[in-house]
Amino acid sequence: MAKLILKNVFKRYDDRKKKKGGKLADFAVNDLTITCSDGEFVGILGPSGCGKTTTLRMVAGLEEITAGEIYIDDTLINHLHPKDRGIGLAFEDYALYPPLTVYDNIAFNLRAKKMSEADIKKEVMRIAPLMKVEELLDMKPAALSGGQKQRVNITRALVRRPKLLLLDEPLSHLDGKMRQILRTELKRLHKEVGCTTIIVTHDQLEAMSLSDKICIMKDGLLQQFGTPYEVYDDPVNVFVAGFIGEPPMNLNKVTITEEDNILYFSFPESSVKIAVPSKYTKVLKTGRHVTLGIRPNDLLIAEDGSPVKIAVFENLGDEKRIGIRIGDEYLTLITSDETLYKQGDIIRIKVHEEKTHIFDIETGDKIRA
Amino acid sequence: MANIELKNVTKSFGKKKALNDISLQVHDKEFFVLFGPAGAGKTTILKTIAGIELPEKGLVKFDGEIVNLVEPAQRNVSMVFENYALYPHISAYDNIASPMRSPLYKKDEDYIKERVMKVAALMKIDHLMDRLPARMSNGQRQRVALGRCLVREPKVFLMDEPLAHLDAKLRHFMRAELKEMQANFNTTTIYVTHDYMEALSLGDRIAVINNGQIEQLGTGDEMYYTPVNEFVARLFGEPEINIIDAEFVLDGGNKGVRLLNQIKSFDIPEDVYDALAATGKTQFHIGLRAIDLNFSFERQSEHDIHGQVYSIEPIGNKAVLNVDVNDTILRTVSPPDLNAEMDSDIFVSVNMKNAMFFDAENHELVVRHNQSQYTKAVK
Repeated sequence: MAKLILKNVFKRYDDRKKKKGGKLADFAVNDLTITCSDGEFVGILGPSGCGKTTTLRMVAGLEEITAGEIYIDDTLINHLHPKDRGIGLAFEDYALYPPLTVYDNIAFNLRAKKMSEADIKKEVMRIAPLMKVEELLDMKPAALSGGQKQRVNITRALVRRPKLLLLDEPLSHLDGKMRQILRTELKRLHKEVGCTTIIVTHDQLEAMSLSDKICIMKDGLLQQFGTPYEVYDDPVNVFVAGFIGEPPMNLNKVTITEEDNILYFSFPESSVKIAVPSKYTKVLKTGRHVTLGIRPNDLLIAEDGSPVKIAVFENLGDEKRIGIRIGDEYLTLITSDETLYKQGDIIRIKVHEEKTHIFDIETGDKIRA
Repeated sequence: MANIELKNVTKSFGKKKALNDISLQVHDKEFFVLFGPAGAGKTTILKTIAGIELPEKGLVKFDGEIVNLVEPAQRNVSMVFENYALYPHISAYDNIASPMRSPLYKKDEDYIKERVMKVAALMKIDHLMDRLPARMSNGQRQRVALGRCLVREPKVFLMDEPLAHLDAKLRHFMRAELKEMQANFNTTTIYVTHDYMEALSLGDRIAVINNGQIEQLGTGDEMYYTPVNEFVARLFGEPEINIIDAEFVLDGGNKGVRLLNQIKSFDIPEDVYDALAATGKTQFHIGLRAIDLNFSFERQSEHDIHGQVYSIEPIGNKAVLNVDVNDTILRTVSPPDLNAEMDSDIFVSVNMKNAMFFDAENHELVVRHNQSQYTKAVK
């Protein structure tokens, strides 16, 4: 159990430096500062190449730190040998020793530490039930399913009683159902063991469902660090808004227009306009182009809304999804309303005022009221 | 334009029976979905229709005519594959044009150009026509592959998991676009998928395939509301439906079902009661979708099931809330901003009107409330 602090951490790979002269954009990780509190489950999330795995590898001691400081509790670990950092690591591809039994795989690192066999057994049997691998202990890795292999892999990382558990895309290789099961179990495990845990993933659903806090990265830069609900409900920029949530937030280019002293979001090449929530009237001027962000659930069917034509109606059982085309823009609306619409029907829509997001069209940053 | 029929089709690969007595009819201009888990036999059915696989037993008919011995090329089908299978060395335009340049369907270049540009506009890839596949994104490649399938006017489109390789977000948009285009297809389409949302969204009718057999054939509503068995019930919906033991109780004034060792039994609608009583059995499985379970942190009724919060997993517009009731996990959904400690007390109520009852031994559907309402079209 420990607190992890990254302070202005940079990473630059040498070959990039040579090629491009080491411009700012060439940092794999660029001035990252985050604090993971004791016992917290933190997700590092982003598309491939965003620097998330590099960050994890610097914490683990697998990569040199170009600049900045990393602390575990109050110890600076920049130059600490990986084995002395008190870290448990589990990678995506399991990396189990095929000739060894599950028990011996789990015990491997403890034996390397010259722990007595009796103590090893005690430790293995402490973690094995939590990860539900007791019945697998005599088996060889080849006989295990993907989900079982990952359980063993995580057990092996935990058995060393790490201060910090690092998981690199642990669920990526698993099929849908197994991923969902193991996701729930990882969450339970974290509750039982209480070990500070960092998970690296490109899957926003995984990061959302597991983490206490999510660190969203892009091009080496931290975009937002907050609870799953914060990054969902209040994304700081258009990138986070589009990355978090499935189906994604509707992000549409609109122009601010005025009619009878009321401001509207007007869709280009169409007569559809949606009233601007009053709280934004001070910060938006007529004629400005902005990106309007509305989650599919926050687009509402209402008598007093703007009429639009349904392009797609999907009945998905638990919910219905309605696709709407306005000029070149496409919007998705999700409703649990039982009405069965069809393509071509006219519905009236409006926005959930409190849940309307507006982003600057140039910078992508959120415009706040 | 064609009716496609499979009659008692059987096919083995070595010892494994890939297709076991498959019979189905696809109507003219219907969008028909073959849905099921990996290895179920969906693609084998598609290949049998295309003529790439030959049935050991049974008949394949196009418009009533047996085509078992007709060469694939002569069947006039158009297929799109999961892995796109684009020609890497020619442009998007030439890829899409390729079926119409084959000796069998040879058309003049003016006609080809008109058709290709029409499909390109439909697929929104007009601007990519000169590009090689290597310089396209996955989504763009998939559009080209779909375009190549749609460019001809064959008897039937055969689509094998065309969206499976796309990420979740792109899949949402492409599925909606396919759905939007459907009206323009005007051609019988058979579509293979393992994604229940694609099946529900796109299919006029769906055949659920498992172990080389048809588990159920019908509309999306039938699958969702009246699955013939527990297997089909589990395939539709996210999170997965809860299926737990239910004991039918008749003692005294108690007419209902008892779940999870609760003392109080739950009242059930009369039609459900009658159907359960008619079986003469007392042990059933009950299927409850996550949205049919409600929760509260204080007891609201004597029927509430007392449990503990097992986990809360926010997934955007909602959270999956797992509740532990004496080691049985109930999956339910909550608002995404729910604030509750793991292991804290929680009470679950059940919407019995939407419950499905399955036979505890053979796992087949016994009854649900208002069952006839959901089964307009019969198997």
